[in-house]
Amino acid sequence: MKMQGTGNRDRGTEAFEQLLRRAVPPAGDDPGPERDLWPAMQRRLNGRDEVAAKLGTVPWFDWALAAGVAVFTVAFPAAIPVLLYYL
Amino acid sequence: MNPHPYLRAFLAGVFVPTLILPVLLCVFIVVRLVLESPFPIERGLVFPLALVPALWGLWNMLWEWSHPSTHLPLGLHGAFLPCLLGPAGTLLATHLGVLELGVSSVTWFHAVQIPYAAVGVCFAVAVAAYYLVWKYVVGFVNRTLGIA
Repeated sequence: MKMQGTGNRDRGTEAFEQLLRRAVPPAGDDPGPERDLWPAMQRRLNGRDEVAAKLGTVPWFDWALAAGVAVFTVAFPAAIPVLLYYL
Repeated sequence: MNPHPYLRAFLAGVFVPTLILPVLLCVFIVVRLVLESPFPIERGLVFPLALVPALWGLWNMLWEWSHPSTHLPLGLHGAFLPCLLGPAGTLLATHLGVLELGVSSVTWFHAVQIPYAAVGVCFAVAVAAYYLVWKYVVGFVNRTLGIA
């Protein structure tokens, strides 16, 4: 195994270095991830696209209705308990 | 194979009003117990807490049963529900003393006075809200449970 170091040796640090080497397991020659991370990344990227695509497919009529309901509840908050009664 | 589709349709329909129940209970606790409102609003709670969720479930079961023949979109089917809930809720609220029908306006909970013209607007808003909720939320739950 290739031993790495800074090359700077101070007196009295050898014991500390040995302790560190025992505590931290060696990384190995080619320490890669245990599984391929790219598919998961691709799923996340596609997920963002899916949300944007789904929002894009909502018809303008539904957006208008949602805006109308929101405006009504903000303009007439007294009607909220009545609407909750029927929901 | 599609086992128990009506049971799943009922559960999908009940889903949304069940989410509203804690909100209503919080409103009740705050208004009646914290703010100590003298009006007994618990009289009117039987409708939103018990009847509305069951009606939503039954309405979704009706859609599951009738959809193969009518091909009615779920949003439109849900938008018809206020036509049933409106008169039923009004009748019950009037008998329980929660709603008073006046000459030119109605009074809810002895506090909220709404003119009859505004009642029509409220009804239209309720229909729009039901259309959106049924189309997107109940539709999503239906698809998740394998009904739609």
